[in-house]
Amino acid sequence: MEVVLHLPVVPNVELVAAKAVEAVGGAIGMHQGGIEAASVAIVEACLNAMEHGGGQMVVRMSAETFEGRPGLVIEVEDQGKGFDPSAAPRNSATRVAGCTTKRGWGLTLIRELMDDVQIRSHPGRTLVRMRKFVESSP
Amino acid sequence: MTDEQMRLSKDIVADGFGLIAAAGYINNEGGQAIADAATELIEGGCGTLLIDLDGTRIINSIGVSILLEIMEKLLEDKGRLAFCNLTPTISKTFEIMGLVQYATVYPDRDTARAALAGDAAV
Repeated sequence: MEVVLHLPVVPNVELVAAKAVEAVGGAIGMHQGGIEAASVAIVEACLNAMEHGGGQMVVRMSAETFEGRPGLVIEVEDQGKGFDPSAAPRNSATRVAGCTTKRGWGLTLIRELMDDVQIRSHPGRTLVRMRKFVESSP
Repeated sequence: MTDEQMRLSKDIVADGFGLIAAAGYINNEGGQAIADAATELIEGGCGTLLIDLDGTRIINSIGVSILLEIMEKLLEDKGRLAFCNLTPTISKTFEIMGLVQYATVYPDRDTARAALAGDAAV
């Protein structure tokens, strides 16, 4: 099972990706908590792609088994200028409290809500690949 | 789950106690709608706010950041913020982003009102 979405940058288009997660996750037997966690993660990945990607993004999702554990694999790809994933700060509540800007939570939430996250980025292409196992908790 | 339209109501349920019920997508617009309702209640004398998110299944970090600003505004005025009816994912997101350090989370509205009764005449 595989879904591929080519999404334009329009308001709330991230919900189209979340809806696809709901459908595919449900079809492979993910519980509601796992679906909701993956939905928030894909929303954050799409928002990052829209903000930094400079145009249309491609979302792919598929059912895959890894080390005997079934799960949902999601990829969000954009054609932006790229960034160094190892230099991206892991946000924390103490770092943000009292600051006038509270943005920059996307990657932190994705890493916390998903079971595995890999980011490859260079100028012209950023790919966020994330996995949620069917049996994992939110 | 992905019903994006925010449905929101607000009410002063007791002296100094405001209730906001919000169902829908908490993005920048949804977060701002909650913030506007909270500001009205705070300016109307509510030092305790309960935000009931029954019916909210999807959020994003921009919307939650706006909720953080409400929390800071309330704390500046020595007020109190509480949430109820959070999904496990929303609860975890609030925990990651620090809301639960300063706000209290209750499982449902009745429990919240009973617990907050000591701070306001609920």
